[in-house]
Amino acid sequence: MNPDNPIPQTPQTPRNRRVLCIEDEHFIGELYARALTKAGYDINVIVDGVKGLEEAKTNQYDIILLDLMIPNMTGIDLLKKLRTDVPNLKAKIIITTNLEQKEETRKGIESQADGYIIKAEITPHQLVQILDGIA
Amino acid sequence: MDHFTRLKRQIQSYAFILGAIEVTLLVSAAWAAGFFFNINQTVIDLVVLVFGVGAAWLYATLVTNYATEPIEFLWRAILHVSPNHVGVVAPNLNDSHVGRELVTSLSLQVYQLASTSGAMQQASPNHSLLVAESMANNLPLPLFAMDKNQNITFVNEAGLHYISRTASDTVGKPFYDVLDLSFQDNQTFDAWLQDCRANKVTDSRSWERVRMKLSDQKTLRQFDMAAYYNKENSAGVETAIAFFDQSSRYSADDNALSFIALAVHELRTPLTMLRGYIEVFEDELGSQLDPDHARFMHQMNASAQQLTAFVNNILNVARIEENQLTLQLTEEDWGTVLSNAVADLTLRAQVHGLTIECSVDGNVPAVGVDKVSIYEVINNLIDNAIKYSDNGKKIVIHSYVTKDGMVETTVQDFGIGIPSSVMPHLFEKFERNHRTRSQIGGTGLGLYLSKAIINAHGGNIWVKSKEEEGSVFGFTIQPYAKLADEQKNSNNKDIVRGAHGWIKNHSLYRR
Repeated sequence: MNPDNPIPQTPQTPRNRRVLCIEDEHFIGELYARALTKAGYDINVIVDGVKGLEEAKTNQYDIILLDLMIPNMTGIDLLKKLRTDVPNLKAKIIITTNLEQKEETRKGIESQADGYIIKAEITPHQLVQILDGIA
Repeated sequence: MDHFTRLKRQIQSYAFILGAIEVTLLVSAAWAAGFFFNINQTVIDLVVLVFGVGAAWLYATLVTNYATEPIEFLWRAILHVSPNHVGVVAPNLNDSHVGRELVTSLSLQVYQLASTSGAMQQASPNHSLLVAESMANNLPLPLFAMDKNQNITFVNEAGLHYISRTASDTVGKPFYDVLDLSFQDNQTFDAWLQDCRANKVTDSRSWERVRMKLSDQKTLRQFDMAAYYNKENSAGVETAIAFFDQSSRYSADDNALSFIALAVHELRTPLTMLRGYIEVFEDELGSQLDPDHARFMHQMNASAQQLTAFVNNILNVARIEENQLTLQLTEEDWGTVLSNAVADLTLRAQVHGLTIECSVDGNVPAVGVDKVSIYEVINNLIDNAIKYSDNGKKIVIHSYVTKDGMVETTVQDFGIGIPSSVMPHLFEKFERNHRTRSQIGGTGLGLYLSKAIINAHGGNIWVKSKEEEGSVFGFTIQPYAKLADEQKNSNNKDIVRGAHGWIKNHSLYRR
């Protein structure tokens, strides 16, 4: 994408936004895709970290759901790369994980991201509600 | 009850039992002798005498051995370090289960001798004082002494070894910098010391399950601890402390818990999927199902929810143990939070033939709560009410404002109630009603967790119960306005609190 000519942003209702879901657990990706699609979101599920980064570089997304345990790159590395290698990233990055983190580690990750979700604590419906609430 | 009172009671009970045995023996011996052998009074007297002396000897031996156990420990320690008695084995003080305060205060006396020796040696070298100093050093019990400024003035070699520090790194340093102690409740060493300074001349106390992190921040020591306080001590020693290592005993529980937490963590992902798929089915098929199938789906959902709550309980208790559970208190409408939580449990109540009545007084203000954690508290209390309801028909939940402006919520059941013997330990870890243990499932972690969460919210949790009539659990939380007042000086919008299983031994001198 040419930084001098960004894709024009048309005013959007929360529910036709584009979501990139980088998630290695196939079934969870499927569940999230189903719930978000039904709610009117345009969702793309990618399993692999490297491919996820490429996708975020080439296409504009509004929200990126990022699992921390993904093949070929850790979620934390991917998060850093998104912040440094994609200078005009518009997407809000929401961490989705079930990993147990030390308080300090979690705070570090949260400070880089726009949200932090423990997957075990929400159902797909609640994910829709959370994304609806993100401006 | 401290160790000394326990010792006295034990001696009393032994004395009583042995006295009774003695009388019985005497009477039956005299009677039997007279009856069977038809012998004269002198012989009976002789028999009584022999039995009497025998029983009294037994009695005296037992009582004395028991009462003098702590002294025997010290005596053996003294002989152990004395140059004239080579070959006496050092006593293992961890085996002493009675009179720990006594051992500690006597050890202090030993130390006092040793500490004055330094000054006196220069004037007139004194053999016995040298022995005293080396004795304190050779006691196999970690021993610390500190002055009125809470600087460590003495630590024996066992103490240095136990905390993995050198003498130059320890002696003269503030106690709180050297020893990072955590206690099970608010009755910390520091709290006791403050109380002693205000109200006592001498005092002693012991604590069980004290924790200490070594300076490497990894090694954890667990021990029982005894302390002796003396305001007017001539050697400048205000407090003496001894540790009785129990690491292997106490860490067994902890290891079990962290293993369970590790295993349970693996349940999270499949459980997330299970709940997700159930949600899809309920959503998309709910209207087409016949009543039986709809009910099955309901029960499946309720069970998955229950399993999730169980997993969360265990993980949160493990976090509390590591002081890793933090809460973000935000402004919430209590009626909404409560009714959402109740709605989720209505399903489970219905399955057990119970209804939940929930009411919130009109004047209840917005509260400051961590939504996820407070949900777990409500969940645990209602879950208990369901489990112990037996033949009760309903569970009544009521929220109102207390006299001191807190928001109080009660969860009442009309079930089997709680025996009074269980009540004092109800909020402790792994505590369960023994009588019902075999019939009613549970981990014994729910109330322990609830208490930690409520305390972190700045509230209290309590219980009232009568057997066969039911129980009322109540907890208070703070109105948001009150919390926000306390937080005025901070820029943070969210109010962050830690929920602790262990209370740090705070020092007033550090703040």
